[in-house]
Amino acid sequence: MTIFGANATESEEQSGATEPNGAAEPTGGNGPRGAAEPSGAGGATDASDLDAEDLVLGYPTAPEPVIDGESIAAEPGAVTALVGPNGSGKSTLLKGLADQIEPDDGSVLLDGRDVRSLDTKALAKQLGLLSQESTSPDSITVEDLVYHGRYPHRGFFERTTAEDARAVERAIDLAGCGHLRDREVGSLSGGQKQLAWIAMVLAQDTDVLLLDEPTTFLDLHHQMEVMEIIETLRDESDVTVVVVLHDIEQAARLADRVVALADGEIRASGPPEAVVTEELLSDVFRVDAEVVDTDRGPRVTPIRARHEE
Amino acid sequence: MSGERPATDGGSVTGDEGRRIGGGSAARRPAEGGRLGWLFEPRLLAVAAASLLLVVVAGLVQVSFGAYSMSAGQAWRAVLDPAVLLDPRWLLNFLLGEGLMRTVTGFQGELPELAHETLIVWNIRLPRVLVAVVVGMNLAVSGAIFQAVTRNELASPFILGVSSGAGLTILLTLVVFGGLSAFLPLIAALGGSVAFLIVYAIAWKNGTSPVRLVLAGVIVGTVFNSLQTGLFFFADDIGVVQSAIQWTTGSLTGTDWEQVRTALPWTLVAVVLSLAGSRQLNLLLLGEQTAKSLGMSIERVRFGLSGVAVLAAAASIAVAGIVSFVGLIVPHVVRNLVGSDYKRVIVGCLFVGPALMVGADVGARLGMSVLTGADAQIPVGIVTGLVGGPYFLYLMRRQQNMGDL
Repeated sequence: MTIFGANATESEEQSGATEPNGAAEPTGGNGPRGAAEPSGAGGATDASDLDAEDLVLGYPTAPEPVIDGESIAAEPGAVTALVGPNGSGKSTLLKGLADQIEPDDGSVLLDGRDVRSLDTKALAKQLGLLSQESTSPDSITVEDLVYHGRYPHRGFFERTTAEDARAVERAIDLAGCGHLRDREVGSLSGGQKQLAWIAMVLAQDTDVLLLDEPTTFLDLHHQMEVMEIIETLRDESDVTVVVVLHDIEQAARLADRVVALADGEIRASGPPEAVVTEELLSDVFRVDAEVVDTDRGPRVTPIRARHEE
Repeated sequence: MSGERPATDGGSVTGDEGRRIGGGSAARRPAEGGRLGWLFEPRLLAVAAASLLLVVVAGLVQVSFGAYSMSAGQAWRAVLDPAVLLDPRWLLNFLLGEGLMRTVTGFQGELPELAHETLIVWNIRLPRVLVAVVVGMNLAVSGAIFQAVTRNELASPFILGVSSGAGLTILLTLVVFGGLSAFLPLIAALGGSVAFLIVYAIAWKNGTSPVRLVLAGVIVGTVFNSLQTGLFFFADDIGVVQSAIQWTTGSLTGTDWEQVRTALPWTLVAVVLSLAGSRQLNLLLLGEQTAKSLGMSIERVRFGLSGVAVLAAAASIAVAGIVSFVGLIVPHVVRNLVGSDYKRVIVGCLFVGPALMVGADVGARLGMSVLTGADAQIPVGIVTGLVGGPYFLYLMRRQQNMGDL
């Protein structure tokens, strides 16, 4: 029996895995696993691996795959940023990692197990995804929205448990939207809405978190809020984060590893200093830019768009 | 476990505002005063009480007036006649039918005599009110479910082909297979369900989507409606045509305890299942992507919930034919009154649906005689349509963006 030991995924049935705080997993259904309690109460780290191997991803309507045989590994317990120009396949890759798109070939392994072999709820307990555009009824309150994040942890007829309430509180705290909890989502600004949605996906209490452009369209203050949430996750928990970012400077500052995509291919990956370079910007983003190292990471000053040919 | 925050990274000083994982502030859930706490919400209670009042008043009008008119007081006394209410044999006789009543109670003699008014009210007028209540519940719940499944406020119980399937089989039965007309309710419900399955099959292509489902519903509806209209030409008897119109516009004329007994069990099943499914409905409102990423098996849930909605719609078709607009308006009204949480929407529908239906049936049964003096009844579906159109006009004027849920 594995209790928040290294990788708690050896067998199909790890029944008996208990929460570090003692509360038993409420679902009687499949895949009961101690959802990794962050900030290691047990001391041992159990950050999850997320590996994609030779992934081929496409859409039924398009003849050519968007991603054609790429492999990517998210560093356990760290933040990996996906960057690239519009249409480079960042979001597609992220959806593929989250098992939202069925791969034409290749596989995604979560702690060594193919995500397709996992039951949808079991997967949602381990892997959370925040999509780019989320819609909700206007009259739902923030708190009720966050409670929806507990869906995979609840059985069909189960009411919310104390464990659910704790996870929701933690998520609301972490996302810093406690002052919004009784507000209706329809009355919030774009930035506040994003915080509420982040709280929802945090309440899911997963080991792996995939965020699709969480800062796009937000004002500076809310961009920083979102960045700080991700930093807190990195510093204080073992959550493995993969985030798609539009702003390459933001990516360099936030991420432990940056993966740059262009035309569905991974062009570079590694620590920010190694990836965010003038050559890469000209090659991948097709801009002439100046990159200066500062103590807050590289500073990117775009100068002009390149019109080669 | 606060205070042990690793102070490694100097760059991010964020924990100051209490942003910290595991900060276990006391659990708080305002709306959760026990399992049924959400029920006792002022707006929902007000909606339920007002609807109940409307049902009682309209029901009282229905049992008082008619060929044998009586005062409201007489009618009220007849409804509450202890000779029926306190006699389980009479009650079971109505609810289960005479045969079942005798096997359940073992009673073989003659049932005790009832007063004249009591007989009229309990035998003829009250069952019609009860059928209206049941039909209203079914249509409202069914519409509410379909609106969540298709994520469209303009969806109705009949959006996925149910009405056209039922209509076609009704016409086929009346015009072609006249010998089967005793099974008309069953056939109509079956036709609706089959059409729904056809719609689903057409919409399926590696799964479905709300838009594909609605489009498939339009396709099947168009073809079936044409066939149905075509069949009218083969009807050689005005009586058959009138009967067909009654069925395809929805009517409660001549409904009896028999209809109550037909619809009630299915209604109970559909209501329980839809209440149980309300959390899934809420999640569907967050959109397919979110629902999927939260681990919902979206196709299974969508099909199951649609099945529940079709069951409810079929139960109402079997006893009243195709009553339009109720399933479209009621969820709308309820959502405007109690908010979008589907637990409350479903419960609200259980009250508002009957209120609209019983109210509309007053107009259908007595309206003509009040307006023209003629002793004629019109199908209740005509009244619900007359009420429904203007309500949507009002909504259209008031709301900026209708459609998306």
